[in-house]
Amino acid sequence: MTTRDVRDTLLAVPVPDELEAQRRSWTVVREAYATREPVPRHGRRLRLLVALAVVAALVAAALSPPGRSVGGWIRDRVAGEEATEPALTRLPSAGRLLVVSEDGSWVVRPDGSKRLLGRYDDASFSPRARYVVATQGGRVVALEPDGDVRWTVTRPRPVADARWAPFPGYHLVYREGATLRIVEGDGDGDRLLVRSVAPIAPAWRPGEGRTVLAYASADGRVRVIEADGDELWSADPGAAPEQLVWSDDARVLLVVTAGQRHPLYRADGRAAGRALETPQGQDVLDAAFAPGTRAIAYSAYDAASGRSSIVVGGERIQQGEGRLEDVVFSPNGRWLLTGWPEADQLLFMRLPGVSGYVVVPDVRREFDPGGVGATEFPRIVGWCCRPA
Amino acid sequence: MAGAGRDERAWVRGAQDGSASDFEALFRAHWPRAYRAAYLVVHDAAGAEDVAQEAFLAAVRALDRFDSARPFGPWLHRIVVNRAIDWTRARALRREVGAGEAIDDVPAEGRGDLATPLPDDVVTALAALSPDHRAVVVLRYVLEYTPGEIARMLELPRGTVNSRLRRALDALQGSVDREEG
Repeated sequence: MTTRDVRDTLLAVPVPDELEAQRRSWTVVREAYATREPVPRHGRRLRLLVALAVVAALVAAALSPPGRSVGGWIRDRVAGEEATEPALTRLPSAGRLLVVSEDGSWVVRPDGSKRLLGRYDDASFSPRARYVVATQGGRVVALEPDGDVRWTVTRPRPVADARWAPFPGYHLVYREGATLRIVEGDGDGDRLLVRSVAPIAPAWRPGEGRTVLAYASADGRVRVIEADGDELWSADPGAAPEQLVWSDDARVLLVVTAGQRHPLYRADGRAAGRALETPQGQDVLDAAFAPGTRAIAYSAYDAASGRSSIVVGGERIQQGEGRLEDVVFSPNGRWLLTGWPEADQLLFMRLPGVSGYVVVPDVRREFDPGGVGATEFPRIVGWCCRPA
Repeated sequence: MAGAGRDERAWVRGAQDGSASDFEALFRAHWPRAYRAAYLVVHDAAGAEDVAQEAFLAAVRALDRFDSARPFGPWLHRIVVNRAIDWTRARALRREVGAGEAIDDVPAEGRGDLATPLPDDVVTALAALSPDHRAVVVLRYVLEYTPGEIARMLELPRGTVNSRLRRALDALQGSVDREEG
């Protein structure tokens, strides 16, 4: 019995009396809703503003010190530059950032200017960043980087994790529920590719003209297939896969799992040396290979201490209170970007070690201009591409 | 689930502003999964109805304090599953009914071939687990949360969630194997 069997069975179990229970409960719940005493909107706003003022004071009193403490931490350890930008006014290296916030998906240009592509829940770059593929509800949307829509595919169920194949980008894959679908780069020929996948993003094997894809199947195995669906190999990573990452040279696949052991595979499916191991109690939040190398960079969160560390090639280069959410390299591999929700900052770290540093504050507001109230911290989903 | 987020946030904001239709949309969107999750933890239809209904009543009480920028589902599901665990423990203390009895009422529909575990077998095996293990299975496979999210919802270490999932799956597998043997 696979995990898919468990899921399918539990979703198919006839639940007795469901509609009658819903009808009876709706009567009770509707009555409770009708007789509640709603707080007027302005009251909520006032409360929100008071809360924000308190939070702002706390941030000023408490959260800035973490930001400064990072600066202090940096000053203690490196002789390089440290720059705190007033806002996201520039990127420290070439390429464009792709960011997903509550407002939607944004492209950030090297001069710091930003364009909101639209209200999309997720997005990723096409090869060489000529396009962005975004998802929202049941729609897969291919866009120009200025937001113009090139084509869309609409499915009956929610879609996610759309990923464009390497240059020349003949295909894209995306998840629809528990299935994986494939569509041609011009939006034609949408079809089912795999019937049963785990809810994590698939990963195309890098390399011009290649159409080899790694994905996690619902039974917890990692599978590598051709774009026509032929399976090349599969492996049991030992714990539920959470992220699939290919090295730039396409020779190593890292499988980040829900456990402490994160295996590495060669392109033919054999083990590629020792697995990456993280200490008990630490969750890997994000991982990447440093461009052009097989050095693994990852962020690990320790729930017991409430702290995160960023490790590159086995060396811890950064740590902080809370979660350091993203591990995104600049296209030339000289900068590593992470998001730090607790301090509401983006941290650009110049490598190797941390020989320089750019801190961007007020990130939530940066990607929710004019917004009020609590806002989720944005995700950094891409930094592309190498200068041609 | 992320795809429905925008509609959901609009429903929450509308419900906060007094729109009964938005509140009804929220209820109808979330009832089926909330009730199914509750049923699979408590294994009793009346108990599941109580649990799911109580969760929605808690939602009504907390509606004005709820941050509409956050997803409603995880918040509701956390209430449902925690109340379901409490309900099951309380029932065990009262010795009202054995864990496996109520599910005998489940109609045997959707039976597959012999190689596929029958739904009743899996449900029976699920009933044999502790409520804490059932809750983790339901959160993972019915409500489709990640182990990390489950850990936060149940305020457990993630390792505990993973080990409960592993043990639960082993137990389900073992029970099905015994049924087939």
